[in-house]
Amino acid sequence: MLVYTVRRVLGAIPVLLLASVLTFVLIDLSGDPLADLHVQQPPPDPEVIQLQAERLYLDRSMPERYWLWMTGIGGNGDIGLLQGKFGPSTQSATYDIGANIAERLGVTLRLVGAAMVFALGLAVLTGVVSAMRQYSKLDYALTFVGFLALAMPTFWFAGLVQQAGVSFNELVGTPFFATVGDGTYQAQGLSPWGRFTNALAYMTLPTIVLMLTSFASWSRYQRTSMLEVLNSDYVRLARAKGLPNRVVVRRHALRTALIPLTTVVAVGMAAIIDGTVLTERVFQWRGLGEFFIQAVEANDSFALMAWLMLSGTTVILANLIADLLYGVLDPRIRYE
Amino acid sequence: MTATDATNSEREGTVDRDDVVLEVDGLSVTFESDDGPLRAVREVSYVLRAGEALGIVGESGSGKSVTSMAIMGLLPRNARVTGSARVLGQEVIGLTDAQISKVRGERIAMIFQDPLTSLNPVYTVGYQIAEAVLAHRNVSRAKAMERALELLELVGIPHPEQRLRQYPHELSGGMRQRVVIAIAMANEPDVIIADEPTTALDVTVQAQVLEALNAARRETGAALVLITHDLGVVAGNVDRVAVMYGGRIVESGPVEEVFYRPRMPYALGLLGSLPRLDAGRRERLNPITGTPPSLSAMPPGCSFAPRCPLARQQCHEEEPLLLGVDEHGDRVSADVTDPAAHSAACHFSAELGESSPADLFRPARQGAGEGGAAEDTGGDRADTAPDPAGGEPILTVTNLVKNFPIRSKGLLRRKIGEVQAVSGISLELRERETLALVGESGCGKSTTARLLLQLIRRTSGEVYYRGQPLHTLTPRQMRPLRRDLQLVFQDPFASLDPRMTVADIVAEPLRIHGEGNGSARRRVGELLDLVGLNPEHGSRYPHEFSGGQRQRIGVARALALNPRVLVLDEPVSALDVSIQAGVINLLEDLQDELGLSYLFVSHDLSVVRHIADRVAVMYLGRIVETGTTEQLFGAPAHPYTQALISAIPLPDPVKERTRERIIVTGDVPSPADPPSGCRFRTRCPKFANELSAQEQVRCVEEPPELADRGSGHHDACHYSEVVELI
Repeated sequence: MLVYTVRRVLGAIPVLLLASVLTFVLIDLSGDPLADLHVQQPPPDPEVIQLQAERLYLDRSMPERYWLWMTGIGGNGDIGLLQGKFGPSTQSATYDIGANIAERLGVTLRLVGAAMVFALGLAVLTGVVSAMRQYSKLDYALTFVGFLALAMPTFWFAGLVQQAGVSFNELVGTPFFATVGDGTYQAQGLSPWGRFTNALAYMTLPTIVLMLTSFASWSRYQRTSMLEVLNSDYVRLARAKGLPNRVVVRRHALRTALIPLTTVVAVGMAAIIDGTVLTERVFQWRGLGEFFIQAVEANDSFALMAWLMLSGTTVILANLIADLLYGVLDPRIRYE
Repeated sequence: MTATDATNSEREGTVDRDDVVLEVDGLSVTFESDDGPLRAVREVSYVLRAGEALGIVGESGSGKSVTSMAIMGLLPRNARVTGSARVLGQEVIGLTDAQISKVRGERIAMIFQDPLTSLNPVYTVGYQIAEAVLAHRNVSRAKAMERALELLELVGIPHPEQRLRQYPHELSGGMRQRVVIAIAMANEPDVIIADEPTTALDVTVQAQVLEALNAARRETGAALVLITHDLGVVAGNVDRVAVMYGGRIVESGPVEEVFYRPRMPYALGLLGSLPRLDAGRRERLNPITGTPPSLSAMPPGCSFAPRCPLARQQCHEEEPLLLGVDEHGDRVSADVTDPAAHSAACHFSAELGESSPADLFRPARQGAGEGGAAEDTGGDRADTAPDPAGGEPILTVTNLVKNFPIRSKGLLRRKIGEVQAVSGISLELRERETLALVGESGCGKSTTARLLLQLIRRTSGEVYYRGQPLHTLTPRQMRPLRRDLQLVFQDPFASLDPRMTVADIVAEPLRIHGEGNGSARRRVGELLDLVGLNPEHGSRYPHEFSGGQRQRIGVARALALNPRVLVLDEPVSALDVSIQAGVINLLEDLQDELGLSYLFVSHDLSVVRHIADRVAVMYLGRIVETGTTEQLFGAPAHPYTQALISAIPLPDPVKERTRERIIVTGDVPSPADPPSGCRFRTRCPKFANELSAQEQVRCVEEPPELADRGSGHHDACHYSEVVELI
């Protein structure tokens, strides 16, 4: 198991390297960070443009820039992924990409974590209930909800939920849901209970938005997987042993039906990260999604690449964890 | 295994119900479906006494499994169960799930067909047995594990302490089925229902598992309901038989009565359509024409009437009751509690007397349909069989080897070993001859068939077709020769494209080989007619045909290009007995008519005995014995062949219970690491029981070569000795 883990971690390195090349080339080809300067009226001093280009290392060739971005060797000390430096920003000379990411990471992780946990929990629950009551009214209702959720565009649904929150607050007469901001500032200096209610107020609505699509697709998946297991011979044998129904469902059906879900959840990480961009914008969170949008608007290629590398690493990591978890859950794939 | 004594008091009418453990009365099961209600089981009644063994025989769809599932309360939600089933006097139909789970496993236990899927892959074997104990006994976990260990010993699993901690995938199929038997006997139930417990297993393993099942019964004193389609298994292992057809019991009685004096034409037909190990070669089989009735469209009268040669007006109108026949030949109501009672659901059962299957089912004239062969001469054809020594060799194989690499799981998938699927075999298939390649799963017989057709690449060795080397040809060069060498697959459901019409399927080889549309269409009509199908049905799709008809379509496709050689890979093993006979007859007729040579790959020695001229027995990639069918079955020389033949159950209760047995222990070793010297020695009864230590050394060190025993009978054993087994 340990050997396998080490081998898988080492195996992730070439994948990450390839991801970095792709990220770099695509971003590099997608636009000129100095475009704004070039079209500015009145035109700025050519010297200003020249200085800016030098600051952003745009005076060097593409392979050289990739090398710089990765290692930082030959740069001005503000670049080099392997040294933990993400490079200069177009937004301003003082804008520190690394510090910004560090500051926003917690905000986004909080949202992603909550969405993952609730999407997974609810998906398993509805999947199991649907499978056990296949073709019942409840199953049809849950199926309808699932497909409705899948069909709804996130940006529209986000706006809808926010509006609903506002209306609810007006109805009850107190700001029950916070519909703007991430609540980090408001939580300062509160008691643990206060921090909890504060988080509840700020997080509920964005979490609902972010988890919706994942919940819907995972619950459909869990339903299929559960149905397959419920009709399997070993579940029948478990019943024939005389085990009570709830034990059969929990111990024999659910336990094995969860195995394939790990892969699906790992792949679904990418969708959740995607979702943060829109969700954070709508609810005006200062998270990594917002960071990404800012970077796009400012044509900030190093910030963009930092974000892409970070999300890419997360997805690769999630898949690695899923693979290892698979080995733990399924003895047939246990590794040496 | 007998319970036919001590029943005189009941014949006098004083029914003693004390020892009845399971009483099923008027049990019916209806499934709600989109096509309306499907009546899967209708009015089934039987009685099972303590320690007794009842066999329930029937083909797929006869309702034999559904009946048992209904008793266990394991049917899906859309099943409606009526009637009654009492386990030790307690009604179990209509119990809530919580109530019936107290009965399951405690009083009545069940064993399922497929041992590979019956155990949960994520729990250890020991845990799954202990779980069964803990479900009904208030004992500690450690105690339950102790019991699990004891049970594993009882069912004959070697090294039980290690096995307890292993997961199901680490055990072979036969061992897993023994684990399931251990689970069934964990709480010493009164009834064990075994649903096709050995169908998925090889014959030598089947014998071991049946032995474990009998051990379980001896230990627990449980009564057994043995559900199977295999008349041989029934003949050797039960006291009474109930034959099911179309959801009803159509005949029941003591096993000897039903086998030797059947009173229902269907039972007679089943026995007649069975190729038998103890019958002569190429004795004509007597298939039952037609197909079993569809559950959604049951005929109003006797459900067997449409296929019955005895059927008259009354049969089509009135469903016969299950009745006995008294000494005057009158049908009288039978006492279900009398174990000696023999009853049948046939209006004319008294007329059946001592008729043989051939009298009743031999077709006078052949029509198109399931049972119909293209050209049925009706006679045995042993006389027309070619002289085994004559005939030009058409396909020759020398020293054929096929290794499959074992690769590492890592990114690079390095080769870390080899599986020798076929290790140096030589064969000769002659003109107009049937050569059977037999062996258990994993022996390399299907790989050999594919190698012959150049569907996979050989590692080394030579294949010649009419003197022309095939092993050096490129796929493009091979293509014209494929006209002559065709293949029929095992699974008639998976081998036909469901989205193509039958005519397109049969015409596909013609198109590939450049035949025009018009001539192809004509040829398709001829071919369908040739295999006994209605040529007008060419525009239908495969799902509209039954299994036997689909296999005929597969044969028609293989014949499209007028091949010289047909490789038949288990062509009848997926078919029901009554259907299988028709396909076998068809293959025999086609061979006579078209002068084909068959390479017949099969695990079923009864079928092989029936159809083959010569036989080659394979074990772990090697041929261990080869000779004519008479030589091989009449005087088997290799211990493996002897074990195989003796493991096949005969559909004859007296013979089956009195014959000599050669039991093979253990499972087939992994072909990745075959034993040194003779590959069979690890399981060989001769090696274990008869040979001295010095003699054994030779088996361990020196791989035996195929040696001629005279007249073309070869075997690969250092100490071979002919034995007569049938």
